[in-house]
Amino acid sequence: MIRPGIHVAFVFLQIAAFAVFSVAEEKPQSKSVSSKDVASEVDRQILAELQKAGVTVAARCSDEDFLRRVSLDITGQLPSPSDVIAFRQNNDPDKRAALIDKLADSSEFGLNWARYWRDVIYFRATEQRSRFNQEEFTDWMAEQWNKGTGWNSTVTAMLTASGNVEEHPETALIFAQGAIAEEVAAEACRVFLGIQLQCANCHDHPSDIWKREQFHQLTAYFPRMAERRMNAGMPEYEIVSVNTESKQGDFMRENPEMFIRAFDRDNDLKLSKKELEAGPKRLGRRIAATMKEGKNDEMQNEGMKDEKIGAGRLPAKAIERLFAFGDTNKDDLLTVEEIKAAQPPVNRRRGSTEHHMVDLKNPNSLGAIVDPKFFVSGETLPRGQTDEERRMAVAKSFTSSENPWFARAIVNRVWAEMLGEGFYMPVDDIGPTREARYPAVLDLICQNFIANGLNPKWLVRTIANTEAYQRKIQSRPASENELPFASATPVPLRSDVVFNSLAQVFGVTEDEMSGRTVRAADKKEKKDKPRAFLQSPRFLFDALFGIDPSVPKDDVMGNIPQSLMMMNSRVFRARMSAGRNTQLSKILGEHRDNRDALRELYLLVLAREPSTEEVKICSDYIAEVKDRPEAFEDMMWSLLNSSEFVSRR
Amino acid sequence: MTEFSWHENVALNRQSVSRRRFLYGASAIAAAGAVNFRDVMSVQADELRKQGRAMILLFMQGGPSQFETFDPKPGTENGGPTTAISTAASGIQIAEGWEKTAQQMKDIAIIRSMTTKEGEHLRAAYQMHTGYIPSGSVKHPSLGSCIAKELAVTDRELPSVVTIGDRGANGSGAGFLGVDYEPFQISGRNVGTVPDNVGPIVGEKRFTRRQGLLDKLEGEFAARGGETVVNNHRRIYDKSAKLVLSPMTKTFDLSLETAETKERYGNSEFGKGCLLARRLVEAGVTFVEVRLNGWDSHKDVFDGVKGLASKCDPALSALITDLKDRGLFDKTLIMWTGEFGRTPKINPNTGRDHWPRNFNTLLAGGGIQGGQVIGETAKDGMGIVNDPVNIPDLFSTICTSLEVNPAKENMSPIGRPLKIVDGGQPVAKLFS
Repeated sequence: MIRPGIHVAFVFLQIAAFAVFSVAEEKPQSKSVSSKDVASEVDRQILAELQKAGVTVAARCSDEDFLRRVSLDITGQLPSPSDVIAFRQNNDPDKRAALIDKLADSSEFGLNWARYWRDVIYFRATEQRSRFNQEEFTDWMAEQWNKGTGWNSTVTAMLTASGNVEEHPETALIFAQGAIAEEVAAEACRVFLGIQLQCANCHDHPSDIWKREQFHQLTAYFPRMAERRMNAGMPEYEIVSVNTESKQGDFMRENPEMFIRAFDRDNDLKLSKKELEAGPKRLGRRIAATMKEGKNDEMQNEGMKDEKIGAGRLPAKAIERLFAFGDTNKDDLLTVEEIKAAQPPVNRRRGSTEHHMVDLKNPNSLGAIVDPKFFVSGETLPRGQTDEERRMAVAKSFTSSENPWFARAIVNRVWAEMLGEGFYMPVDDIGPTREARYPAVLDLICQNFIANGLNPKWLVRTIANTEAYQRKIQSRPASENELPFASATPVPLRSDVVFNSLAQVFGVTEDEMSGRTVRAADKKEKKDKPRAFLQSPRFLFDALFGIDPSVPKDDVMGNIPQSLMMMNSRVFRARMSAGRNTQLSKILGEHRDNRDALRELYLLVLAREPSTEEVKICSDYIAEVKDRPEAFEDMMWSLLNSSEFVSRR
Repeated sequence: MTEFSWHENVALNRQSVSRRRFLYGASAIAAAGAVNFRDVMSVQADELRKQGRAMILLFMQGGPSQFETFDPKPGTENGGPTTAISTAASGIQIAEGWEKTAQQMKDIAIIRSMTTKEGEHLRAAYQMHTGYIPSGSVKHPSLGSCIAKELAVTDRELPSVVTIGDRGANGSGAGFLGVDYEPFQISGRNVGTVPDNVGPIVGEKRFTRRQGLLDKLEGEFAARGGETVVNNHRRIYDKSAKLVLSPMTKTFDLSLETAETKERYGNSEFGKGCLLARRLVEAGVTFVEVRLNGWDSHKDVFDGVKGLASKCDPALSALITDLKDRGLFDKTLIMWTGEFGRTPKINPNTGRDHWPRNFNTLLAGGGIQGGQVIGETAKDGMGIVNDPVNIPDLFSTICTSLEVNPAKENMSPIGRPLKIVDGGQPVAKLFS
């Protein structure tokens, strides 16, 4: 039971949330319900449940830990040694909230989270070429998060995107799935609603309520997109809408009767090679006549016009192929049945104007046409709509405030990314049959998130302001059933964050992480080279350290190539050398006293002071090695190779 | 078969060597320094790999032409100028340029009736590696990773899956099986040397000392709530350090092979890759993939394949010879394949385009009955006349060879069980 006082506060927040809802669209930056107020209500409810369950709640984390945690989470950057000291000395009781605001207003905020979304989308790319526009996408997403664009607008842009993929990087999700309708539908649903519908592609969902038809109805919003290569030289791609039946092959398979009639000169309802080679009969009049007679209802319904059929003369090669694979009884005549049973052409993935649900009993056939219907709300769209109309409609259904999964999915994702665990886990498998922990808390955040114009910056700020976020770390409770959020969980850092941390610790730029000194001239030349990022140290580092952000952090573990690189990389070794112009040599030069130098080293690498125990271990080590530079190199190596360096604490 | 019996006896005896005894033995050998490296590895091979079964995939990236490899159609329009040569197996002819492979044909089975629907490189390569078509919702593990999961012994120094060659093929990763079965990648130019970052650059003594310091310093974070993270981290670092300090890293070093051996494999990058594959299998690695790029011959297919065959032919032949000499052939399956085949029609650029409807794959070793051809294609190469083999069939065949249950399910992250091979029937004739 929730105590009355809390309940009143909760109601108040809900009313406040709805009061601002009407003006939210005009004033997306509205802060009528502040991050801090929502945060404290969230904490009250979580605490009540934890106390009810008798779970011991961890204390607030230290300022040092908070500074590192919140800097890495919001900006992806490690605080500098002077940041650590200044924050500790700051006596303002609201210094944590002020720090959160400052970090959230820095440009690194958007960039950090844009890289998170880059990984969410490209980790599951089935179109490998889609990496081409990942840098442009990251910049675009960073801008949206920094500007405070509502998540509904951002997602709408991504679902309705088209054009050159580098000029329109919001095509990312569609391009990553090669504009294949089924894949885009499944990914959009997984990423933006957190619901895994794609199992229902081939059968009713085994562990969920989804029916196979519902997946195909969702797919039916996307059949008119296509990915197209634009030129022959340097490959460039675009996402286009295909609103007309441009392919003879598709027309033939979708309307085999009409196809046969168009060529059938001897009226035996079969096609010979000669008939096909001779080209279509005078098509226009015939089809018009058939339609008048109402012989083909389906075609009338589709509003099919004869110019759309475009049953022109087939190339000799196509005829040959058609007979080679269609004429199953080898009588040199094609029948309606044979055409129906013929396998769709290889890679028949683009250009069909309606979505077909394959008949599982006859998997080589095209299957029946399915019309668009949104599985959450039941909204429908009539057949024959353009690509633009369909995708706009599906974006509206996705992002509608009537669709609870839209806000829940992102709130749960961001919360899970920051706390190491979400209300639902995993973050991309939520939905009506899954059970949330603290469901009321999730909905409370969702309502206020909507009231604040679905501004992701508001969301991150709110979560960072909760006490739940600011607790001390503890190892996982032994029991899986135990309520989460009683303590913070140490989780592995994302690849970009580790990369940033390394560059910062070494005191070098991103390009210099390659081990080479980068001159200004090289830099310019590099910038002019298209897709230079594919060779950049960040990209290569990501190839080794990248993790799929949708996978629960518990399942993420380092691997051997990663640790080998951290241990034995020649580049890193040079950057840790005490003898060259490095951060370490600077520290050793400035601090004659080993303890002072050690303290600086800890602040630089781990953003904290060493403990008494650590000072002792290191002093003993220096004594054992008897070589100050060598001992310090080994200590720096140990700190960089520690689990703490690659974890959030 | 009599020539193998001696090796088989030896292998049986080896299996009775206990792990502890082996460890003792290995360190004794290292201390004495008297026994050569190969002996150490041979002892390890069966110790470290259940049943000693392994697979080497020779992946011909780009899609090799079946006409210019193992399904020539000399004297036909589609066959082009490529002639056929006889092989050691009577009645089997293959394309010119594969003379050394021809001599081994009694040990090789050709499947000429491979068929798939994917005619795009990345999607087809994904299917040829995983058995599944790509899907955004789940990253399928490669067959190699699945096999390693079933066969490889954990807690060992060398990785269980190794890929050799540039440009990782789509689908060759461990997918949702995770890091334990992720392939250890060796880029083409590094073939023959101990890979980057594997050698302890500060020397073994200092490396060990640093490790000790790291281990002590980890205590603080463990005590402050990071215990689980620290333990996982330690596990991986221990494994990595074991590899760094292991004499097994010498497996990667081809300078230990004679010039004559390298010559037999052909001194190409691919040849070196095959030689390394043999060494890795000897050392107990379960799955090795060696890639050869450049098969996407839309232009000048005849000259193109000639060049590729000159690299591939000696390497494949030497690999079979060496595995037989070492008694590993019966337990090691070799598969030579691309992601699809090429069009029968020769295009105006004297090339051939993508053709997934029929292409050819070779299998050798691993209990496969060589000297036979599975399936037949039409005279003009346009399609399969009998015994089509799809990828699930091929993968089921591989599982039979390696004694892995193809219906074994692995759980994907969203709780959806996925079989190692979805459907398909092993090609029975290959085991008769």
